[in-house]
Amino acid sequence: MKSAEGRGRTLDEAVDAALIELKESRRNVDIKVISEGSEETIVEVTVIDQAAGSAEAAAPANGKAEIARGLVEGLLKHMGVRAQVTVRPGTEPITLDISGRDLGALIGWRGETLRALQSVTNVMVGRHLEEGERIIVDVERYRQRREHTVREIAMRAARQVKMTGDAITLDAMQPFERRAIHLALEGDPDVTSGSIGEEPERRVVVGPRKPAAE
Amino acid sequence: MPGRAAERIRKAIALVNSVADDAGDEDITPTEIAEAIRDCLEMSEVDQVANVRKYLGEALDAVSDGMPADFVAMTLYAALGALREGGSLV
Repeated sequence: MKSAEGRGRTLDEAVDAALIELKESRRNVDIKVISEGSEETIVEVTVIDQAAGSAEAAAPANGKAEIARGLVEGLLKHMGVRAQVTVRPGTEPITLDISGRDLGALIGWRGETLRALQSVTNVMVGRHLEEGERIIVDVERYRQRREHTVREIAMRAARQVKMTGDAITLDAMQPFERRAIHLALEGDPDVTSGSIGEEPERRVVVGPRKPAAE
Repeated sequence: MPGRAAERIRKAIALVNSVADDAGDEDITPTEIAEAIRDCLEMSEVDQVANVRKYLGEALDAVSDGMPADFVAMTLYAALGALREGGSLV
């Protein structure tokens, strides 16, 4: 997978520098912050393997993934949706990518239909899965894009918290989005993340990390 | 009030999904999920559209039986879908 290191005064500048080197757009990359200081921010930007979906068909099939792929393909056919279902290679948990034209209806309001589709898929494939194992369903990389977006939001919030010292409460998010934020910030020594409120209005709070009691 | 049943079903779904997706920042018990579904069943709206009460009852049974979160979520989505098809504002 292609990757590049980017440096800049701000996170955006560092990401842009790497994107220019890679000749890629933000939606096609994964961004990892290596260091962030007041003078310079360094990021590692990795291109998400867009060609993997088509190359994957030739790859050796994971039995469970193939069963899931076949079931979802059949389900979509019954729904009258013309779409291609592929297994995203090298992902844990197993992730199915659905691609095609005009699939907005499969995503639904705030990803509700997509989430329902994922539940149905897991119920259908359930007996082939180990306990706790799950299948992730993504339509036109909606879920992946959302994860990238919320990670960027998390980074911005972290920068602001470091500058002001005040905690920030983000908008209500779904569990997978909150999880992406917690994971994005867990390695940051200066900020901490937690959640408040009740579903579906549960929100992440990013605040300064208090020094450990001695 | 139209749409309130849908709102409550969505809340129950969100609780179940948070168990399935495991954001790692809360601890939802089956009792809380069951309570959220019972809140839905208490609404008169669920009797105005065919099958909504039936699906909610099945979801409640699934929670009691310890069925996987995805199964409960799927049944709740069925209730939400029935409500939407029944013309109730969702």
